[in-house]
Amino acid sequence: MTEEDLNYLDLAQACVTRADDAGAEWCDVVAGTARDISVAIEKSGIKSADAGRGEEVAIRAYVGGGMGYAAVTGRDRKTIDEAVDRAVALAKEATDDPDFRRLPPPQPRPEVEGIFDDAVAGLSVEQVVRIAVANIEAARAVEPEAILSGSVALSVGRGALASSTGVALESRATEISARISALLRRDGDTGYFYEFDFGRNLADCRLETVSVAAVEGARRFLGARRIGSGRRTLVLGPLAAYGFLGRLVAAAGAESIQRGRSFLCGKEGEPIADACLTLVDDGLVPRGVRSGAHDGEGTARRPLTVIHQGCLAGLLHNSYTAGKAGTESTGHGTHAGGIRPTNLRPALGDCPADELLAEVEDGIYLESGEIRPDPASGDISASIDFGFLLKGGERVHPVESAMLGGNVFDLLQRLDAVSSDAREEPGILMPTLRIRDVQIAGAE
Amino acid sequence: MPLKGVTLDMDDLVRHVCDLAKRRGADFADARAVRRHGESVLVQDGRADKLAASADCGIGVRVLVGRAWGFASADSLQRRRAEQCVDDAIALAKASEAVVTDPARMAAVEAVEAEDRTEPEVPPGAMPVAEKIDRLLQYERAGRAAASDGHQIVNAIVSYAQAWREETLANTAGTLLRSAGSRAVATTLFVASDGEILQRGTEQRGIVGGAELLRRVQPEPFSVRAARKAVAALDAKPAPAGRFTVLFHPSITGLLVHEALGHNAEADSVWAGESILEGRLGEEIASPAVSVWDDSTLPGQFGSFAYDSEGTPGRRRPLIQEGRLVAYLHSLETAAKFDADPTGSARAESYDCRPLVRMSNTFLAPAGADTGVPLAEMMRGIDRGVYLEDGHWGYVFVQKGQFICHAGQAHMIEDGEIGEPLRDVSISSLTLDVLKNIDAVGEDFEMEMPGMCGKDGQSAPTDCGGPHVRVRDVVVGGHHTL
Repeated sequence: MTEEDLNYLDLAQACVTRADDAGAEWCDVVAGTARDISVAIEKSGIKSADAGRGEEVAIRAYVGGGMGYAAVTGRDRKTIDEAVDRAVALAKEATDDPDFRRLPPPQPRPEVEGIFDDAVAGLSVEQVVRIAVANIEAARAVEPEAILSGSVALSVGRGALASSTGVALESRATEISARISALLRRDGDTGYFYEFDFGRNLADCRLETVSVAAVEGARRFLGARRIGSGRRTLVLGPLAAYGFLGRLVAAAGAESIQRGRSFLCGKEGEPIADACLTLVDDGLVPRGVRSGAHDGEGTARRPLTVIHQGCLAGLLHNSYTAGKAGTESTGHGTHAGGIRPTNLRPALGDCPADELLAEVEDGIYLESGEIRPDPASGDISASIDFGFLLKGGERVHPVESAMLGGNVFDLLQRLDAVSSDAREEPGILMPTLRIRDVQIAGAE
Repeated sequence: MPLKGVTLDMDDLVRHVCDLAKRRGADFADARAVRRHGESVLVQDGRADKLAASADCGIGVRVLVGRAWGFASADSLQRRRAEQCVDDAIALAKASEAVVTDPARMAAVEAVEAEDRTEPEVPPGAMPVAEKIDRLLQYERAGRAAASDGHQIVNAIVSYAQAWREETLANTAGTLLRSAGSRAVATTLFVASDGEILQRGTEQRGIVGGAELLRRVQPEPFSVRAARKAVAALDAKPAPAGRFTVLFHPSITGLLVHEALGHNAEADSVWAGESILEGRLGEEIASPAVSVWDDSTLPGQFGSFAYDSEGTPGRRRPLIQEGRLVAYLHSLETAAKFDADPTGSARAESYDCRPLVRMSNTFLAPAGADTGVPLAEMMRGIDRGVYLEDGHWGYVFVQKGQFICHAGQAHMIEDGEIGEPLRDVSISSLTLDVLKNIDAVGEDFEMEMPGMCGKDGQSAPTDCGGPHVRVRDVVVGGHHTL
């Protein structure tokens, strides 16, 4: 049997049968393969070309509601059989869990176009190297002194999911990306930024010019200066806003709320943000980078409104949390038992980002940076990694050694605008957000 | 699910791969064959919630052909798949050789033939899963009991994970190195509520070893401490915002030297022109009270190893001595490019990863009895400042020398005295500023920050620590100005 002709669905179903025989009351198995190519850029040159190929089988078994899980790489049947037996044995050791109801049954599978692209799957190493070289040359043309690092990478995978409830699904997917940072050092000054482009389809990406956007970013961040502390308007550019909203949606995972450890506990149906914020998680967007017909447990994906006009409208469920809550899974389960958001699509506002900025008298524009609320308290204490001082609606200069602080609810309630325009990546919308009266800490 | 058999077949395989690579035109090649297995147990709110096991094996082949590197891996130890890796790696190198502008080089490799097998006190599988569950439940019960009001704890998680790894490395210079050992980590999280807000307390312990960790770690400094932290944080106030003199607990000192200095001292970043330490060897970059080491030889410490992923012996290496930058961390390649000695700092997460320059156990050395400043004296020198404790996480942009460290707990310092408790808070600064602004270093020392350090998509076990230190002009990311 060659690498290509292994039937992963047959393999997964055989593992389910073995788990049943070993005493599993419920069981599901994923089996699949992935092939990766990555070309590394360092010091504005090609550093290395890497390739890998792997297969994995992961078994999840339940006895009395207790879960056992085992994962192995490769296709050696003896090793796989041992993993199945181990998963069942571990499930028997786990404490009974009356909150476990059942694994998802077979269900109609939605069609999601554009998840697999033959053009990506057919790219050779030489072609990936050419994309990397094109980035180096494009950056050199606009800024010969820029120091580039990063990678151009692709992944091609296919696999199957089978369960004791009769789920039998096969899928395949591609992804390609270019992630490049640019560094400029000039007269003791440093400008640094990174950019990326990614997608499931080659036609959705402009991979060859990511470096130019990174260099332009590095130029913008030359001349950083310290600022004083005070309360200012905070404008989150598309990347910063996406990161912030991503953390918020992750906090809406039902597991952490049911366990009582999330700052969103008790907030379902309650206003948590200004009414200008509506946020949808949609795993069915055609060609979306987080799209797929079903989640890791076989539940069909569907759009979920997480925040509707400022109210926490919906939680992300897997089969376990849905069973515990007496509701339906929203299709956000991972095979290992977790919950994961898909494509985030905030509703757009009325004014373009430029106008939102123009109205800011004294503020900070955070182009990119991590704002991660504490998962329990919601407190935020974050570095302004890539930010500008705003005065009179203009970007005055980049800032260094500055931070922002507050609580996630303070920021959400002081949100006063979502831009009408947005950066768009396949499946994902990234508008600009404006938040009034945020505590900024400066080094001056 | 332990995988059987390790040495002879893996020896033959990696030697064969290197011979084949040489015959097919590689100027240098190395091969790492790896078998791993692991297990994890998670106890949550009185129940053994998730029990998991994993096993994998594979080979990674790295070749240098002319000026270019190629690397290929396969999740198999079959001869046919390994030989395919050789062909793939050579093809990958050739595909990029014409466009390589910074030719790859390697330091002269001294052949090593050695075996480094560190058996845990409790071999894998020797402690039954049920015993591990019992131990974790004991931790949880102790933590809940220690909270001043048991009802305040709304969620408790205690987990244990162990990973066993056997690896055989060969290269075209004649090295054959067999290593085997395991690491174990125990983690706990308690979440407390007063009905209005939630707060967390966490602790983590990790060793080079196995399930003996669960016998060594007592509840008091682990789950009990985490539960008390969570409850205490309910009464803590948000930290102030602005620039302060700050006192670092050893865990924060560890984060500082790991994030702010250590990553900048990794020679691959320096060679790439990205580190702010480029061209600064021999320069005074820190206060004279500051000496920083990276030491992979500390017995049992989470970041320790005998040989790195290229077969270079691990060692104790100074990075800063009395304020002066004296060395970078090197792989064989960066050592060649800098004409320096390899430091045994090339580490690969597994067979499917190229070795990168990484830290091991990084620490700021405690001051001697003649220069050390006691904690109380450090505090006396602060009119209004912040005492940061309970190091959690951090990250750095080496290109800008800008870092952030997050503290799980803090206190105000007022007129030289410890003041009211503060909630978790982050600080940020520039590496070259903060190292020079350290104006007091303690004689004490603690290194208990086991964790997985991320770089270029790989993670490596590391540890970090140091003494208490006092630092001027640090930006605290609080909620309000005073």
